[in-house]
Amino acid sequence: MARASMYHRLVVWLLLLVLVLPLAATLLYSLATQWSASLLPAGLTFDWYLRLWSEPRFLAAFGRSLLVCAGALAFACLLVLPAMFVIAYHFPRLDAVMNVLILLPFAVPPVVSSVGLLQLFAGGPLALVGTPWILIGCYFTIALPFLYRALTNNLQAIELRDLMDAAHLLGASTFRAALSVVLPNLRKGLVVAVLLSFSFLIGEFVFANLLVGTRYETLQVYLNNMRNGSGHFTSALVISYFMVVLLVTWAANRLNRDPSSS
Amino acid sequence: MSFLNVERLHKRYGANPVFSEIDFSASRGELVTLLGPSGCGKSTLLRCLAGLTPIDGGRIMLDGEEISNVAPQRRGIAMVFQSYALFPNMTVRDNVAFGLRMQRTRKDELERRVTEVLALVELDGLEARYPHQLSGGQRQRVALARSLVVRPRLLLLDEPLSALDARIRRHLREQIRRIQRELELTMVFVTHDQEEALSLSDRIVLMREGKIVQNGSAETLYTAPKDAFVAGFIGHYNLLDADVAGRLLDRSFSNRVAIRPESIQLDASQGIAGEIVDHSLLGNVIRYRVKARGVELSVDVLNRSASSLLAPGSQVRLAIAEESIREVA
Repeated sequence: MARASMYHRLVVWLLLLVLVLPLAATLLYSLATQWSASLLPAGLTFDWYLRLWSEPRFLAAFGRSLLVCAGALAFACLLVLPAMFVIAYHFPRLDAVMNVLILLPFAVPPVVSSVGLLQLFAGGPLALVGTPWILIGCYFTIALPFLYRALTNNLQAIELRDLMDAAHLLGASTFRAALSVVLPNLRKGLVVAVLLSFSFLIGEFVFANLLVGTRYETLQVYLNNMRNGSGHFTSALVISYFMVVLLVTWAANRLNRDPSSS
Repeated sequence: MSFLNVERLHKRYGANPVFSEIDFSASRGELVTLLGPSGCGKSTLLRCLAGLTPIDGGRIMLDGEEISNVAPQRRGIAMVFQSYALFPNMTVRDNVAFGLRMQRTRKDELERRVTEVLALVELDGLEARYPHQLSGGQRQRVALARSLVVRPRLLLLDEPLSALDARIRRHLREQIRRIQRELELTMVFVTHDQEEALSLSDRIVLMREGKIVQNGSAETLYTAPKDAFVAGFIGHYNLLDADVAGRLLDRSFSNRVAIRPESIQLDASQGIAGEIVDHSLLGNVIRYRVKARGVELSVDVLNRSASSLLAPGSQVRLAIAEESIREVA
């Protein structure tokens, strides 16, 4: 019994070590003044972070990433929320179709769909390649499955039909009932899904690099372009990015757990 | 003309009729129960009355006005759901006030009416709680208060007590009946529980497979069931085939015979000889299984004392009152 428990602990710690070691090394490297021929860094400094956070190109790229992600998620919310409500309330049978549809963005590898998108939007009336709009559209399809799944679970947890019927009988119109009775109950699921999608999207590289590249440099593209520069500097960038994602994921988990907000 | 009139109502899903030729009425201040087994169409009928499900024919008249095609918001009908359907994001007070807010009731009047109705259902003090912080019985009382506060012309209740445990169910049942009488409310109550129907209703409309089987007072349905289905559904009848009843009672019958277990006397000095098979205790009543002339019968006797209990094998004589022997189709 004790040996089995030891073994299980060992496996978990080993896994943790494998996952944390590269991060810890990157963190240490980003804090090192110099670290090349010695076992340990020559000295510690915050200089790389100060330089990173005062670098206009980095700040611009970070801002662009935020903007594209926020735009895609806002677009997704505006479109998905009403669509989900209509499906759940009026056409529940369409749910099966939607479940297949939302898997499509996963079915095609990003590199393959990028090639298609490049062909489709390179010229003509919708010359979107090289603009943030194509990224917003692209990220929308990536966020869709996350939002849809989270909201479906939320919708199933409330007795949508009975709630709507009750509100109708008490004098509310369908719009009013959806707004004051259904929407507030989806808020939590929506926020969690948005935060998780955000932390995923802000790290997206393939679409950003192939469809827009340096014409609208996002965080990951900037990181890629900096790969020949100082390793300490890019390490600070990676750690900064990681902290942002960690913060957002933590917020999502926190919201998901908090029983008082249910 | 009655306050609520339902005339030749029918509804089908595709080719399958849910119910057809439904005719019944309710006077002002009357509590009518739609009783029947699961799937007999009673809940759908209730939803049709509320306007939540469209009908395929017939008409619904409320207070002299045809409402068959009126939107649910404008029928003046409120409904209590089996699932409570409380708004999870609102407190008890906001749930109850929702209907008044939709009617744009003045704030002071809204506050007064909400407070009044919460007192009526004995929920004062719980105003600030959320539905998930309440017990099942409390939730259903919030749902009731939410329906009452808008002063509906007609209140519909769709199996409101079936998710609650027996003791709370009884208490809430009495509370509903008291409020209904106090406010002189017209109610249509759907249930599959015959005991609930008998104890609550002024009148019972018994349904089976989308049709009304019998419509009458609780007493009539209990003492004069129209057929074997009613007898079997509404009480614990001894239902005997014509030849079996003939053997027991020594005469011939052309139909099945229904005899209520409490109408058979056990300690009669003369009557049909029988033998106790066993018994079960139903609280204040003991139900014996007695075998007489090869026929097994249920006999209910008041549970007076443990010493009067008849052991299996005891010889008894059965007296069956003539008026309690009913031939049913």
